[in-house]
Amino acid sequence: MSQLWQLGAEEIARGVRGGELSAREVFESCLERTRAVEGDLGAYLELLAEQGRERADEIDQRRRAGEDVGPLAGVPVAIKDNISVAGRSLTCGSRILEGYVAAYSATAIERLEAAGAVILGRCNLDEYGMGSSCENSSFQLTHNPWRLDRVPGGSSGGPAAAVATGVPLALGTDTGGSIRQPAAFCGIVGLKPTYGRVSRYGLVAFASSTDQIGPLARNTRDAALALKVIAGADERDSTSARRPVADPLAEIDNGIAGRAVGVATEIDNRSLPAEARASWRQALARLERLGAELREVSIPALDAAIACYYVLCTSEASANLARFDGIRYGRRAAGTGSLGELYRASRSQGFGAEVKRRIMLGTFALSAGYYDAYYGRALAVRQALRRQLETAFETVDLLVTPTAPSGAFAIGERIDDPLSMYLMDIYTVPASLAGLPALSVPCGLDDDGMPLGLQLMARPFDEAAVLAAGRAFEQDLDWKVEPTAVAA
Amino acid sequence: MALSRAEVERIAELARLDLTPAEEELFASQLGKIVDYFDQLRGFEDTDTDGVADLDVDSLEADDLPVPCLPREAFLDNAPESIDGFLVVPPVKAKPG
Repeated sequence: MSQLWQLGAEEIARGVRGGELSAREVFESCLERTRAVEGDLGAYLELLAEQGRERADEIDQRRRAGEDVGPLAGVPVAIKDNISVAGRSLTCGSRILEGYVAAYSATAIERLEAAGAVILGRCNLDEYGMGSSCENSSFQLTHNPWRLDRVPGGSSGGPAAAVATGVPLALGTDTGGSIRQPAAFCGIVGLKPTYGRVSRYGLVAFASSTDQIGPLARNTRDAALALKVIAGADERDSTSARRPVADPLAEIDNGIAGRAVGVATEIDNRSLPAEARASWRQALARLERLGAELREVSIPALDAAIACYYVLCTSEASANLARFDGIRYGRRAAGTGSLGELYRASRSQGFGAEVKRRIMLGTFALSAGYYDAYYGRALAVRQALRRQLETAFETVDLLVTPTAPSGAFAIGERIDDPLSMYLMDIYTVPASLAGLPALSVPCGLDDDGMPLGLQLMARPFDEAAVLAAGRAFEQDLDWKVEPTAVAA
Repeated sequence: MALSRAEVERIAELARLDLTPAEEELFASQLGKIVDYFDQLRGFEDTDTDGVADLDVDSLEADDLPVPCLPREAFLDNAPESIDGFLVVPPVKAKPG
Protein backbone atom coordinates (compact mmCIF):
# COMPACT_ATOMS: atom_id res chain seq x y z
CA MET A 1 0.00 0.00 0.00
CA SER A 2 1.12 3.53 -0.74
CA GLN A 3 2.21 5.75 2.06
CA LEU A 4 0.26 8.96 2.40
CA TRP A 5 3.10 11.15 1.09
CA GLN A 6 3.04 9.16 -2.14
CA LEU A 7 -0.57 10.08 -2.91
CA GLY A 8 -1.38 12.64 -5.58
CA ALA A 9 -3.21 15.91 -4.89
CA GLU A 10 -6.45 14.68 -6.42
CA GLU A 11 -6.46 11.48 -4.34
CA ILE A 12 -5.69 13.38 -1.15
CA ALA A 13 -8.43 15.95 -1.72
CA ARG A 14 -10.96 13.25 -2.58
CA GLY A 15 -10.03 11.29 0.55
CA VAL A 16 -10.11 14.29 2.87
CA ARG A 17 -13.40 15.58 1.46
CA GLY A 18 -14.94 12.13 1.83
CA GLY A 19 -13.62 11.63 5.35
CA GLU A 20 -11.48 8.58 4.44
CA LEU A 21 -8.27 10.55 5.02
CA SER A 22 -7.37 13.09 7.65
CA ALA A 23 -5.62 16.25 6.48
CA ARG A 24 -3.47 16.10 9.62
CA GLU A 25 -2.28 12.54 8.91
CA VAL A 26 -1.45 13.44 5.31
CA PHE A 27 0.45 16.52 6.47
CA GLU A 28 2.43 14.55 9.08
CA SER A 29 3.35 11.92 6.49
CA CYS A 30 4.60 14.53 3.99
CA LEU A 31 6.45 16.39 6.74
CA GLU A 32 8.15 13.25 8.03
CA ARG A 33 9.12 12.17 4.53
CA THR A 34 10.41 15.65 3.71
CA ARG A 35 12.52 15.74 6.88
CA ALA A 36 13.96 12.31 6.06
CA VAL A 37 15.26 13.44 2.63
CA GLU A 38 15.86 17.13 3.25
CA GLY A 39 19.39 16.63 4.59
CA ASP A 40 20.38 15.23 1.19
CA LEU A 41 18.33 17.60 -0.96
CA GLY A 42 18.24 21.09 0.57
CA ALA A 43 14.95 21.84 -1.17
CA TYR A 44 13.48 24.02 1.59
CA LEU A 45 14.47 27.31 3.16
CA GLU A 46 11.88 26.81 5.91
CA LEU A 47 9.39 24.10 6.89
CA LEU A 48 6.14 25.49 8.26
CA ALA A 49 5.32 22.56 10.56
CA GLU A 50 3.24 24.31 13.25
CA GLN A 51 1.31 26.54 10.89
CA GLY A 52 0.62 23.52 8.67
CA ARG A 53 -0.59 21.35 11.55
CA GLU A 54 -3.04 24.04 12.64
CA ARG A 55 -4.30 24.44 9.08
CA ALA A 56 -4.70 20.69 8.62
CA ASP A 57 -6.58 20.31 11.92
CA GLU A 58 -8.87 23.18 10.96
CA ILE A 59 -9.70 21.49 7.66
CA ASP A 60 -10.46 18.20 9.41
CA GLN A 61 -12.73 20.01 11.90
CA ARG A 62 -14.57 21.88 9.18
CA ARG A 63 -15.03 18.65 7.24
CA ARG A 64 -16.49 16.95 10.31
CA ALA A 65 -18.85 19.91 10.71
CA GLY A 66 -20.15 19.21 7.21
CA GLU A 67 -18.51 22.14 5.43
CA ASP A 68 -17.20 22.01 1.87
CA VAL A 69 -13.45 22.02 2.47
CA GLY A 70 -12.46 22.77 -1.13
CA PRO A 71 -11.00 21.09 -4.22
CA LEU A 72 -7.51 20.91 -2.69
CA ALA A 73 -8.66 19.90 0.80
CA GLY A 74 -5.70 18.82 2.91
CA VAL A 75 -3.22 18.85 0.01
CA PRO A 76 0.29 19.78 1.26
CA VAL A 77 1.93 22.33 -1.01
CA ALA A 78 5.49 23.67 -1.28
CA ILE A 79 5.91 27.33 -2.22
CA LYS A 80 8.79 28.90 -4.11
CA ASP A 81 10.22 31.63 -1.93
CA ASN A 82 9.50 34.51 -4.27
CA ILE A 83 5.73 34.23 -3.68
CA SER A 84 4.38 36.12 -0.65
CA VAL A 85 2.77 34.19 2.22
CA ALA A 86 1.41 36.66 4.80
CA GLY A 87 3.33 36.66 8.07
CA ARG A 88 6.18 34.50 6.77
CA SER A 89 9.71 35.37 5.68
CA LEU A 90 10.18 36.02 1.98
CA THR A 91 13.78 35.99 0.76
CA CYS A 92 13.77 35.38 -3.02
CA GLY A 93 16.95 33.45 -2.22
CA SER A 94 18.68 36.79 -1.64
CA ARG A 95 20.63 38.23 1.29
CA ILE A 96 19.14 41.62 0.52
CA LEU A 97 15.72 40.41 1.72
CA GLU A 98 16.95 38.66 4.85
CA GLY A 99 14.59 39.56 7.68
CA TYR A 100 11.75 40.66 5.38
CA VAL A 101 8.33 39.33 6.41
CA ALA A 102 5.52 39.38 3.85
CA ALA A 103 2.74 41.71 4.96
CA TYR A 104 0.17 40.13 2.62
CA SER A 105 -0.33 36.93 0.64
CA ALA A 106 -0.12 36.55 -3.12
CA THR A 107 -3.48 36.06 -4.82
CA ALA A 108 -2.39 32.56 -5.89
CA ILE A 109 -1.66 31.72 -2.22
CA GLU A 110 -5.03 33.08 -1.06
CA ARG A 111 -6.76 30.96 -3.70
CA LEU A 112 -4.78 27.83 -2.78
CA GLU A 113 -5.61 28.27 0.90
CA ALA A 114 -9.26 28.99 0.19
CA ALA A 115 -9.31 25.70 -1.76
CA GLY A 116 -8.07 23.84 1.33
CA ALA A 117 -4.36 23.43 0.52
CA VAL A 118 -1.88 23.32 3.42
CA ILE A 119 1.49 25.04 2.96
CA LEU A 120 4.36 22.78 4.02
CA GLY A 121 7.27 25.13 3.47
CA ARG A 122 9.15 27.80 1.56
CA CYS A 123 11.43 26.43 -1.13
CA ASN A 124 14.87 27.29 -2.44
CA LEU A 125 15.41 29.07 -5.77
CA ASP A 126 18.01 30.90 -7.80
CA GLU A 127 18.18 34.42 -6.39
CA TYR A 128 15.14 36.35 -7.70
CA GLY A 129 14.48 33.49 -10.12
CA MET A 130 17.67 34.22 -12.04
CA GLY A 131 19.28 30.91 -12.96
CA SER A 132 18.78 27.45 -14.37
CA SER A 133 20.38 25.34 -11.63
CA CYS A 134 19.45 26.69 -8.17
CA GLU A 135 23.19 27.35 -7.67
CA ASN A 136 22.48 31.09 -7.54
CA SER A 137 20.63 30.86 -4.22
CA SER A 138 22.44 32.92 -1.60
CA PHE A 139 21.59 30.36 1.08
CA GLN A 140 22.13 26.77 -0.06
CA LEU A 141 22.51 24.31 -2.89
CA THR A 142 19.60 22.06 -3.80
CA HIS A 143 20.49 18.59 -5.06
CA ASN A 144 18.71 16.55 -7.70
CA PRO A 145 16.84 13.64 -6.09
CA TRP A 146 17.78 11.37 -8.99
CA ARG A 147 21.52 11.97 -8.49
CA LEU A 148 22.78 14.15 -5.69
CA ASP A 149 25.79 15.49 -7.62
CA ARG A 150 23.44 16.97 -10.24
CA VAL A 151 21.52 20.24 -10.17
CA PRO A 152 17.71 20.13 -9.75
CA GLY A 153 17.33 22.78 -12.45
CA GLY A 154 16.14 26.28 -11.86
CA SER A 155 15.04 28.60 -10.87
CA SER A 156 12.22 26.57 -9.23
CA GLY A 157 14.72 23.86 -8.24
CA GLY A 158 13.55 23.64 -4.62
CA PRO A 159 9.87 23.16 -5.52
CA ALA A 160 10.79 20.57 -8.18
CA ALA A 161 12.96 18.51 -5.79
CA ALA A 162 10.20 18.78 -3.16
CA VAL A 163 7.48 17.46 -5.48
CA ALA A 164 9.71 14.63 -6.76
CA THR A 165 10.13 13.40 -3.17
CA GLY A 166 7.74 14.54 -0.45
CA VAL A 167 4.75 16.69 -1.47
CA PRO A 168 2.26 16.21 -4.30
CA LEU A 169 2.17 19.84 -5.41
CA ALA A 170 4.17 23.07 -5.48
CA LEU A 171 3.79 26.59 -6.79
CA GLY A 172 6.72 27.80 -8.83
CA THR A 173 7.31 30.76 -11.09
CA ASP A 174 8.45 30.77 -14.70
CA THR A 175 10.01 33.75 -16.46
CA GLY A 176 12.00 31.94 -19.17
CA GLY A 177 11.59 28.27 -18.21
CA SER A 178 11.89 28.25 -14.43
CA ILE A 179 8.98 25.85 -13.88
CA ARG A 180 9.42 23.67 -16.96
CA GLN A 181 13.18 23.02 -16.89
CA PRO A 182 13.42 21.95 -13.20
CA ALA A 183 10.28 19.82 -13.70
CA ALA A 184 12.08 18.09 -16.59
CA PHE A 185 15.30 17.69 -14.57
CA CYS A 186 13.45 16.17 -11.59
CA GLY A 187 11.13 13.87 -13.59
CA ILE A 188 7.86 15.64 -12.81
CA VAL A 189 5.23 17.80 -14.56
CA GLY A 190 5.51 21.59 -14.73
CA LEU A 191 3.02 24.02 -16.28
CA LYS A 192 3.70 27.61 -17.26
CA PRO A 193 0.25 29.09 -17.82
CA THR A 194 -0.53 31.67 -20.49
CA TYR A 195 0.73 35.14 -19.55
CA GLY A 196 -2.19 36.76 -17.71
CA ARG A 197 -3.83 33.48 -16.72
CA VAL A 198 -2.65 33.63 -13.10
CA SER A 199 -2.42 36.83 -11.09
CA ARG A 200 1.12 38.00 -10.35
CA TYR A 201 0.01 39.96 -7.28
CA GLY A 202 2.35 39.04 -4.44
CA LEU A 203 5.01 37.57 -6.73
CA VAL A 204 8.28 39.49 -6.48
CA ALA A 205 8.87 40.76 -10.02
CA PHE A 206 11.90 39.71 -12.05
CA ALA A 207 10.78 40.35 -15.67
CA SER A 208 7.20 41.56 -15.50
CA SER A 209 6.33 40.92 -19.15
CA THR A 210 6.96 37.16 -18.87
CA ASP A 211 6.72 36.25 -15.14
CA GLN A 212 3.98 33.70 -14.43
CA ILE A 213 3.07 31.57 -11.41
CA GLY A 214 2.26 27.92 -12.14
CA PRO A 215 2.04 24.43 -10.66
CA LEU A 216 4.59 21.62 -10.39
CA ALA A 217 3.06 18.20 -9.78
CA ARG A 218 3.69 14.47 -10.25
CA ASN A 219 1.09 14.14 -12.99
CA THR A 220 -0.92 16.31 -15.36
CA ARG A 221 -4.25 15.81 -13.55
CA ASP A 222 -2.83 17.36 -10.39
CA ALA A 223 -1.33 20.23 -12.39
CA ALA A 224 -4.75 20.83 -14.00
CA LEU A 225 -6.47 20.76 -10.62
CA ALA A 226 -4.05 23.34 -9.23
CA LEU A 227 -4.32 25.56 -12.31
CA LYS A 228 -8.08 25.67 -12.00
CA VAL A 229 -7.75 26.89 -8.41
CA ILE A 230 -5.15 29.62 -8.96
CA ALA A 231 -6.24 30.92 -12.40
CA GLY A 232 -8.53 33.82 -13.15
CA ALA A 233 -8.87 37.58 -13.16
CA ASP A 234 -7.64 39.61 -10.20
CA GLU A 235 -8.23 43.32 -9.91
CA ARG A 236 -4.90 43.66 -8.07
CA ASP A 237 -3.00 42.61 -11.22
CA SER A 238 -4.05 44.65 -14.24
CA THR A 239 -2.33 42.17 -16.58
CA SER A 240 -4.42 39.26 -15.33
CA ALA A 241 -6.83 38.25 -18.07
CA ARG A 242 -10.53 38.79 -17.75
CA ARG A 243 -11.29 35.47 -19.40
CA PRO A 244 -13.43 32.66 -18.07
CA VAL A 245 -11.41 29.73 -16.72
CA ALA A 246 -12.69 26.47 -18.13
CA ASP A 247 -12.13 23.32 -16.10
CA PRO A 248 -9.00 21.78 -17.63
CA LEU A 249 -9.87 18.47 -15.96
CA ALA A 250 -13.06 18.25 -18.01
CA GLU A 251 -11.03 17.88 -21.22
CA ILE A 252 -7.96 16.11 -19.88
CA ASP A 253 -8.87 12.66 -21.16
CA ASN A 254 -9.47 13.90 -24.70
CA GLY A 255 -6.14 12.45 -25.82
CA ILE A 256 -4.07 13.60 -28.75
CA ALA A 257 -5.50 11.49 -31.58
CA GLY A 258 -6.16 13.62 -34.64
CA ARG A 259 -4.42 16.70 -33.21
CA ALA A 260 -1.93 18.42 -35.49
CA VAL A 261 1.38 18.74 -33.66
CA GLY A 262 4.04 21.06 -35.07
CA VAL A 263 7.75 20.31 -34.93
CA ALA A 264 10.01 23.25 -35.72
CA THR A 265 12.55 22.42 -38.40
CA GLU A 266 15.00 24.67 -36.57
CA ILE A 267 15.27 22.19 -33.69
CA ASP A 268 16.88 19.11 -35.15
CA ASN A 269 18.92 21.15 -37.59
CA ARG A 270 20.73 23.46 -35.27
CA SER A 271 20.10 23.32 -31.59
CA LEU A 272 19.70 19.75 -30.37
CA PRO A 273 22.94 18.04 -29.29
CA ALA A 274 23.52 14.65 -30.91
CA GLU A 275 23.17 12.68 -27.65
CA ALA A 276 19.67 14.08 -27.02
CA ARG A 277 18.32 13.29 -30.48
CA ALA A 278 17.46 9.64 -29.88
CA SER A 279 15.08 10.28 -26.98
CA TRP A 280 13.59 13.23 -28.84
CA ARG A 281 12.80 11.06 -31.86
CA GLN A 282 11.35 8.36 -29.59
CA ALA A 283 9.06 10.96 -28.03
CA LEU A 284 7.88 12.06 -31.49
CA ALA A 285 7.27 8.44 -32.45
CA ARG A 286 5.21 7.98 -29.29
CA LEU A 287 3.08 11.03 -30.14
CA GLU A 288 2.47 9.58 -33.60
CA ARG A 289 1.53 6.22 -32.16
CA LEU A 290 -0.99 8.00 -29.96
CA GLY A 291 -2.61 9.36 -33.09
CA ALA A 292 -1.03 12.82 -33.34
CA GLU A 293 -0.37 14.11 -36.82
CA LEU A 294 3.15 15.54 -36.89
CA ARG A 295 3.80 18.50 -39.16
CA GLU A 296 6.96 20.43 -39.85
CA VAL A 297 6.73 24.15 -39.24
CA SER A 298 9.40 26.82 -39.62
CA ILE A 299 9.96 29.46 -36.98
CA PRO A 300 13.15 31.26 -38.05
CA ALA A 301 13.10 33.70 -35.10
CA LEU A 302 13.73 30.75 -32.75
CA ASP A 303 17.42 31.20 -33.54
CA ALA A 304 17.41 34.66 -31.99
CA ALA A 305 15.15 33.77 -29.05
CA ILE A 306 17.86 33.43 -26.40
CA ALA A 307 19.49 36.75 -27.25
CA CYS A 308 16.07 38.41 -27.42
CA TYR A 309 14.96 36.95 -24.08
CA TYR A 310 18.14 37.80 -22.19
CA VAL A 311 18.14 41.41 -23.42
CA LEU A 312 14.51 41.87 -22.39
CA CYS A 313 14.58 40.01 -19.07
CA THR A 314 17.76 41.71 -17.88
CA SER A 315 16.40 45.11 -18.92
CA GLU A 316 13.20 44.52 -16.98
CA ALA A 317 15.17 43.13 -14.04
CA SER A 318 17.40 46.19 -13.89
CA ALA A 319 14.29 48.34 -13.48
CA ASN A 320 12.37 45.99 -11.16
CA LEU A 321 15.30 45.47 -8.80
CA ALA A 322 15.99 49.20 -8.44
CA ARG A 323 13.54 49.14 -5.52
CA PHE A 324 15.92 47.07 -3.39
CA ASP A 325 18.01 49.90 -2.08
CA GLY A 326 18.12 49.48 1.71
CA ILE A 327 15.59 52.24 2.38
CA ARG A 328 12.14 50.77 2.91
CA TYR A 329 12.74 47.07 3.54
CA GLY A 330 15.41 44.42 3.51
CA ARG A 331 19.06 44.74 4.30
CA ARG A 332 20.63 48.14 4.93
CA ALA A 333 24.41 48.49 4.83
CA ALA A 334 25.93 49.99 7.97
CA GLY A 335 28.30 52.94 8.27
CA THR A 336 27.49 54.83 5.08
CA GLY A 337 27.54 58.62 4.83
CA SER A 338 25.23 59.78 2.07
CA LEU A 339 22.05 58.38 0.57
CA GLY A 340 23.86 57.39 -2.63
CA GLU A 341 26.50 55.50 -0.67
CA LEU A 342 23.75 53.70 1.26
CA TYR A 343 22.05 52.57 -1.96
CA ARG A 344 25.26 51.31 -3.49
CA ALA A 345 26.59 49.60 -0.37
CA SER A 346 23.25 47.91 0.46
CA ARG A 347 22.83 46.61 -3.08
CA SER A 348 26.45 45.53 -3.49
CA GLN A 349 26.44 43.62 -0.20
CA GLY A 350 22.94 42.23 -0.67
CA PHE A 351 22.87 40.94 -4.26
CA GLY A 352 24.72 37.85 -5.47
CA ALA A 353 26.91 37.62 -8.57
CA GLU A 354 24.26 36.54 -11.10
CA VAL A 355 21.80 39.22 -10.00
CA LYS A 356 24.55 41.85 -10.33
CA ARG A 357 25.44 40.50 -13.78
CA ARG A 358 21.84 40.73 -14.96
CA ILE A 359 21.29 44.19 -13.52
CA MET A 360 24.48 45.28 -15.29
CA LEU A 361 23.41 43.70 -18.60
CA GLY A 362 19.98 45.29 -18.43
CA THR A 363 21.39 48.67 -17.47
CA PHE A 364 23.75 48.41 -20.45
CA ALA A 365 20.97 47.40 -22.89
CA LEU A 366 18.82 50.35 -21.78
CA SER A 367 21.61 52.93 -21.67
CA ALA A 368 22.09 55.85 -24.05
CA GLY A 369 23.74 54.74 -27.28
CA TYR A 370 22.77 51.08 -26.89
CA TYR A 371 19.00 51.17 -26.38
CA ASP A 372 18.03 50.90 -30.06
CA ALA A 373 20.64 48.28 -30.89
CA TYR A 374 19.72 45.96 -28.03
CA TYR A 375 16.43 46.67 -26.24
CA GLY A 376 14.64 48.09 -29.27
CA ARG A 377 15.87 45.31 -31.54
CA ALA A 378 14.92 42.66 -28.99
CA LEU A 379 11.36 43.99 -28.86
CA ALA A 380 11.16 43.69 -32.65
CA VAL A 381 12.49 40.11 -32.58
CA ARG A 382 9.94 39.27 -29.91
CA GLN A 383 7.15 40.59 -32.10
CA ALA A 384 8.43 38.63 -35.11
CA LEU A 385 8.69 35.45 -33.04
CA ARG A 386 5.18 35.95 -31.76
CA ARG A 387 3.81 36.40 -35.28
CA GLN A 388 5.66 33.34 -36.55
CA LEU A 389 4.20 31.29 -33.71
CA GLU A 390 0.71 32.66 -34.46
CA THR A 391 1.14 31.64 -38.09
CA ALA A 392 2.27 28.16 -37.04
CA PHE A 393 -0.82 27.81 -34.85
CA GLU A 394 -3.01 28.43 -37.89
CA THR A 395 -2.05 24.95 -39.11
CA VAL A 396 -1.24 23.07 -35.88
CA ASP A 397 -2.94 22.65 -32.50
CA LEU A 398 0.24 22.13 -30.51
CA LEU A 399 3.97 22.68 -30.85
CA VAL A 400 6.38 20.19 -29.37
CA THR A 401 10.05 20.56 -28.39
CA PRO A 402 12.40 19.01 -25.86
CA THR A 403 12.15 20.96 -22.59
CA ALA A 404 15.93 21.30 -22.37
CA PRO A 405 18.85 20.21 -24.57
CA SER A 406 19.99 17.65 -21.95
CA GLY A 407 19.17 16.10 -18.61
CA ALA A 408 20.41 17.65 -15.36
CA PHE A 409 24.08 18.62 -15.47
CA ALA A 410 26.60 18.38 -12.66
CA ILE A 411 26.66 20.89 -9.81
CA GLY A 412 29.48 23.33 -10.59
CA GLU A 413 29.69 22.39 -14.28
CA ARG A 414 28.33 25.64 -15.73
CA ILE A 415 28.32 28.13 -12.90
CA ASP A 416 31.48 29.91 -14.11
CA ASP A 417 30.17 30.29 -17.66
CA PRO A 418 26.92 32.29 -17.53
CA LEU A 419 26.40 32.21 -21.31
CA SER A 420 26.48 28.41 -21.41
CA MET A 421 23.85 28.42 -18.63
CA TYR A 422 21.67 30.86 -20.62
CA LEU A 423 21.86 28.64 -23.71
CA MET A 424 20.15 25.84 -21.75
CA ASP A 425 16.93 27.88 -22.01
CA ILE A 426 16.72 27.63 -25.81
CA TYR A 427 13.44 25.67 -25.87
CA THR A 428 11.64 27.35 -23.00
CA VAL A 429 12.08 31.06 -23.75
CA PRO A 430 9.93 31.15 -26.94
CA ALA A 431 6.69 30.38 -25.04
CA SER A 432 7.70 32.99 -22.45
CA LEU A 433 8.34 35.67 -25.06
CA ALA A 434 5.04 34.89 -26.82
CA GLY A 435 3.05 34.45 -23.60
CA LEU A 436 1.91 30.93 -24.58
CA PRO A 437 0.93 28.11 -22.22
CA ALA A 438 3.63 25.43 -22.06
CA LEU A 439 3.85 22.13 -20.23
CA SER A 440 6.81 19.89 -19.50
CA VAL A 441 6.05 16.18 -19.05
CA PRO A 442 8.60 13.44 -18.34
CA CYS A 443 9.66 11.53 -21.47
CA GLY A 444 12.27 9.04 -20.25
CA LEU A 445 15.84 8.92 -18.95
CA ASP A 446 19.14 9.92 -20.54
CA ASP A 447 22.24 7.70 -20.63
CA ASP A 448 23.15 8.84 -17.12
CA GLY A 449 19.76 7.86 -15.71
CA MET A 450 18.56 11.46 -15.46
CA PRO A 451 14.98 12.37 -16.44
CA LEU A 452 14.23 14.23 -19.66
CA GLY A 453 11.23 16.41 -20.40
CA LEU A 454 9.03 16.96 -23.42
CA GLN A 455 7.54 20.43 -23.86
CA LEU A 456 4.09 21.04 -25.34
CA MET A 457 2.91 24.54 -26.27
CA ALA A 458 -0.52 25.70 -27.39
CA ARG A 459 -2.45 28.83 -28.36
CA PRO A 460 -2.94 31.46 -25.66
CA PHE A 461 -5.31 30.32 -22.89
CA ASP A 462 -5.53 26.77 -24.26
CA GLU A 463 -3.92 25.13 -21.23
CA ALA A 464 -6.48 22.34 -21.67
CA ALA A 465 -4.82 21.32 -24.96
CA VAL A 466 -1.32 20.91 -23.50
CA LEU A 467 -2.67 19.13 -20.43
CA ALA A 468 -4.73 16.64 -22.50
CA ALA A 469 -1.75 15.92 -24.76
CA GLY A 470 0.55 15.60 -21.75
CA ARG A 471 -1.93 13.26 -20.08
CA ALA A 472 -2.00 10.93 -23.08
CA PHE A 473 1.78 10.97 -23.24
CA GLU A 474 2.41 10.27 -19.54
CA GLN A 475 -0.15 7.45 -19.46
CA ASP A 476 1.39 5.75 -22.47
CA LEU A 477 4.88 6.11 -21.02
CA ASP A 478 3.59 4.82 -17.64
CA TRP A 479 6.01 7.19 -15.92
CA LYS A 480 6.71 6.73 -12.20
CA VAL A 481 8.18 9.52 -10.11
CA GLU A 482 10.66 7.33 -8.25
CA PRO A 483 13.91 9.26 -7.87
CA THR A 484 16.89 6.96 -7.55
CA ALA A 485 19.04 8.90 -5.07
CA VAL A 486 16.54 8.91 -2.19
CA ALA A 487 15.17 5.80 -0.45
CA ALA A 488 11.48 5.14 -1.10
CA MET B 1 35.03 41.48 -27.22
CA ALA B 2 35.55 42.16 -23.55
CA LEU B 3 33.96 45.34 -22.24
CA SER B 4 36.52 47.88 -21.08
CA ARG B 5 36.98 48.46 -17.36
CA ALA B 6 35.78 52.03 -17.91
CA GLU B 7 32.62 50.72 -19.55
CA VAL B 8 31.97 48.34 -16.66
CA GLU B 9 32.51 51.18 -14.17
CA ARG B 10 30.06 53.38 -16.08
CA ILE B 11 27.37 50.67 -16.08
CA ALA B 12 27.94 49.93 -12.37
CA GLU B 13 27.50 53.62 -11.59
CA LEU B 14 24.19 53.70 -13.48
CA ALA B 15 23.09 50.47 -11.75
CA ARG B 16 24.08 51.80 -8.31
CA LEU B 17 26.50 48.98 -7.62
CA ASP B 18 29.99 49.18 -6.12
CA LEU B 19 32.12 46.48 -7.70
CA THR B 20 35.37 45.16 -6.27
CA PRO B 21 38.37 45.19 -8.66
CA ALA B 22 37.99 41.39 -8.97
CA GLU B 23 34.30 41.74 -9.88
CA GLU B 24 35.12 44.45 -12.42
CA GLU B 25 37.62 42.20 -14.12
CA LEU B 26 35.32 39.17 -14.10
CA PHE B 27 32.31 41.12 -15.35
CA ALA B 28 34.34 42.83 -18.08
CA SER B 29 35.09 39.45 -19.67
CA GLN B 30 31.77 37.70 -18.89
CA LEU B 31 29.53 40.59 -19.91
CA GLY B 32 31.63 41.17 -23.03
CA LYS B 33 31.05 37.58 -24.10
CA ILE B 34 27.31 37.86 -23.48
CA VAL B 35 27.03 41.19 -25.32
CA ASP B 36 28.84 39.58 -28.27
CA TYR B 37 26.13 36.93 -28.25
CA PHE B 38 23.45 39.64 -28.11
CA ASP B 39 24.98 41.17 -31.23
CA GLN B 40 23.24 38.52 -33.34
CA LEU B 41 20.14 40.69 -32.86
CA ARG B 42 21.79 43.31 -35.05
CA GLY B 43 21.50 40.93 -37.99
CA PHE B 44 17.77 40.76 -37.54
CA GLU B 45 15.97 42.87 -40.11
CA ASP B 46 12.19 42.87 -40.21
CA THR B 47 10.62 46.08 -41.38
CA ASP B 48 7.21 44.68 -40.52
CA THR B 49 7.73 44.99 -36.77
CA ASP B 50 7.79 48.02 -34.57
CA GLY B 51 8.29 46.33 -31.22
CA VAL B 52 5.10 47.89 -29.92
CA ALA B 53 2.07 46.08 -28.53
CA ASP B 54 3.77 42.73 -28.43
CA LEU B 55 1.43 41.29 -25.82
CA ASP B 56 -2.29 41.71 -26.34
CA VAL B 57 -3.51 40.46 -23.01
CA ASP B 58 -7.19 41.03 -22.46
CA SER B 59 -6.42 43.05 -19.39
CA LEU B 60 -8.50 44.32 -16.56
CA GLU B 61 -9.22 47.96 -16.07
CA ALA B 62 -9.79 49.18 -12.57
CA ASP B 63 -11.73 52.24 -11.53
CA ASP B 64 -9.42 54.92 -10.19
CA LEU B 65 -10.75 54.95 -6.65
CA PRO B 66 -8.99 55.31 -3.32
CA VAL B 67 -8.86 52.01 -1.44
CA PRO B 68 -7.26 51.13 1.90
CA CYS B 69 -3.53 50.46 1.61
CA LEU B 70 -1.09 48.61 3.82
CA PRO B 71 -1.29 50.03 7.39
CA ARG B 72 1.70 52.22 8.26
CA GLU B 73 2.72 49.91 11.13
CA ALA B 74 2.74 46.85 8.87
CA PHE B 75 4.91 48.72 6.38
CA LEU B 76 7.32 50.00 9.03
CA ASP B 77 7.71 46.51 10.54
CA ASN B 78 9.95 45.76 7.58
CA ALA B 79 11.82 49.08 7.60
CA PRO B 80 15.53 48.91 8.42
CA GLU B 81 15.20 52.05 10.61
CA SER B 82 12.24 54.21 11.66
CA ILE B 83 11.37 56.84 14.26
CA ASP B 84 7.86 58.00 15.25
CA GLY B 85 6.25 56.43 12.20
CA PHE B 86 8.81 57.79 9.72
CA LEU B 87 11.57 56.07 7.76
CA VAL B 88 15.06 57.18 8.73
CA VAL B 89 17.43 57.82 5.82
CA PRO B 90 20.88 59.43 5.57
CA PRO B 91 21.15 62.99 4.24
CA VAL B 92 20.69 63.23 0.49
CA LYS B 93 23.75 65.50 0.36
CA ALA B 94 26.63 65.31 2.80
CA LYS B 95 26.72 68.15 5.34
CA PRO B 96 29.06 70.96 4.27
CA GLY B 97 32.35 70.58 6.10
